[in-house]
Amino acid sequence: MLEIRGLEKKFGKYQVLNGLDMTVPEGSLYGFVGPNGAGKTTTIKIIVGLLKPDGGTIRLGGEDASAGGWEKHVGYVPDFFGVYDNLKVWEYMEFFAACYGLEGLRARRRCSALLEQIGLEDKTEYYVDGLSKGMQQRLCLARALIHDPEILILDEPMAGLDPRTRFDFKDTLRELRDQGKTIVMSSHVLSELSEICTDVGIIDQGRMALTGSIRDILSQVNSSNPIVITLFGGGTDKALNILKSHPFVHTITVKEQDIVVRFTGDKQDEAVLLQQLVDSGLLVSGFTREQGSLESLFMQITGKDEERTVLKYENESGL
Amino acid sequence: MKMNPVYKREMMVSSRSMRMPLIITVFNGILAVVALLNMYSNVVQVRLTADVQYSSFLDLYEFVATIEFVMLMFIMPAITSGTISGERERRTLDLMLTTGLNSWEIVSGKLGAALVTMFLVIVSSFPVFALVFVYGGITGRDVLFMLLCFVTSALFAGSLGICCSSLFKRSTVATVAAYGVLALTVAGTLAVNSFAYSMARMNWNQSGYTMGMIGEQTVNSGGFLYTLLVNPAATFLLILQGQTASGAGGVLEMYGTRPSGLILDHWLAFSIVIQLALSGVFVAAAVKMVRKKGIGRNA
Repeated sequence: MLEIRGLEKKFGKYQVLNGLDMTVPEGSLYGFVGPNGAGKTTTIKIIVGLLKPDGGTIRLGGEDASAGGWEKHVGYVPDFFGVYDNLKVWEYMEFFAACYGLEGLRARRRCSALLEQIGLEDKTEYYVDGLSKGMQQRLCLARALIHDPEILILDEPMAGLDPRTRFDFKDTLRELRDQGKTIVMSSHVLSELSEICTDVGIIDQGRMALTGSIRDILSQVNSSNPIVITLFGGGTDKALNILKSHPFVHTITVKEQDIVVRFTGDKQDEAVLLQQLVDSGLLVSGFTREQGSLESLFMQITGKDEERTVLKYENESGL
Repeated sequence: MKMNPVYKREMMVSSRSMRMPLIITVFNGILAVVALLNMYSNVVQVRLTADVQYSSFLDLYEFVATIEFVMLMFIMPAITSGTISGERERRTLDLMLTTGLNSWEIVSGKLGAALVTMFLVIVSSFPVFALVFVYGGITGRDVLFMLLCFVTSALFAGSLGICCSSLFKRSTVATVAAYGVLALTVAGTLAVNSFAYSMARMNWNQSGYTMGMIGEQTVNSGGFLYTLLVNPAATFLLILQGQTASGAGGVLEMYGTRPSGLILDHWLAFSIVIQLALSGVFVAAAVKMVRKKGIGRNA
């Protein structure tokens, strides 16, 4: 759906985007994450047409962004809510509908339907600056949908919302995804992204450090996590002998009853190792690989340089 | 015909605000009080001397027209210099720029709304203006010509304000810049001419004394006089002088006499056309700058 290749942007001497590649599949809910200053907002502003890139291409559904008429396909929810004084909710909606060329009865019907969808149908006569932050954010989402865009770009949409509103907002996003909208969402709340996103991209220093479907990425993270082996009734020394001689075992740490093993083999190798331990007469009461999270992966990528190099290598090799 | 959405919203919001009714009330209140005092003094004079001085009624016209001109020169930059920068400060400009609206629609919608608002204030003062017709001396054509001068000046000051608003990110800076440029245009051109004229007189006095020449006919501010073509106040004073035959508008004569020429013979037409052209340049600059300056630099 959205394809970005070699995107570059420089502000003075500061290279914000350094050949960014990004592919957002059609109908996906794409989580766009990265540390502060990584280039998320710049990328989003280029996608929605607020900034011109210094290099690279953006294609939406095969069409080049530089061809014009791009704004019809994209809905934008920024990380702030622009408030107008003395403007009611329905006037706010009708104003933006008119900006997209929708007027009269058609505009009113569209506005009513959207306000109903986001649960603000009873607030049409309220002034927008008097709405709560959660309501303003929902109104902002409705505004972005007014022209029925194919792709929605949301920049930190859940920042500052209370847990209940976040829950409702996530539900609305899921609904929109089910309706066939492609959604790109940047956020710092990684646990939330892993909950609702189908795909994720991690940007660091203006480049895409890691991208793919969230399921694949998390399974890859899991396979690089250590295995924790718990023995019942002793036998640690015996177990250590077996582990030391195993070709896929790289490091072993003994923590009280547990042996933490950095193991690079696949699922089958894991099963073989477990079989070996059991066959040697050890009572293995626990054999689990630590579960990874998007947060731990993010910390790894944006943390130490050495670890980042490893992950980038893994990424290039088909993660 | 599709109405500009920015213009529509601006008019809707300003009609709800208390600011405009307040400006209209205060402005017309002052005009009405002064006009009634003027009429009262005329009536008293007639009772005392049995003479009717028509020049007093023209004073009323001069007063009303001058107040309106000064007001629009002060109010227009104030209204327009916060329009684009205000949207930027509220962070609503980015939202508009991501819709189907182009920069021209945004600028023209804002400027159109400001001009209509200003026009409303001027039209609201027509009843006071109309008092002059009770006594005569000023024709409907004169009033229409004065109105053309007001529209030109309002457009000039308004487009300058909106240009500054597009150029600067903060409304305060934009307002200061707009008033600064306007002051330079109005007072600056007069000051430059005064300086050039006094220098010319000084030189003439010296050389005239040495060479024994007599006469001041050729002493003037030289080419600096043409800077007054961009000065809306000079245009207004010239029109007023032509209509009331008062000495108040003898702007061009203030800087020496000179032989007639194409521009001097059609000074008002040239000045109005030049000021309209400059307004166009300001608007074009504003349209160009909306997108360039309206962008944040967050990474």
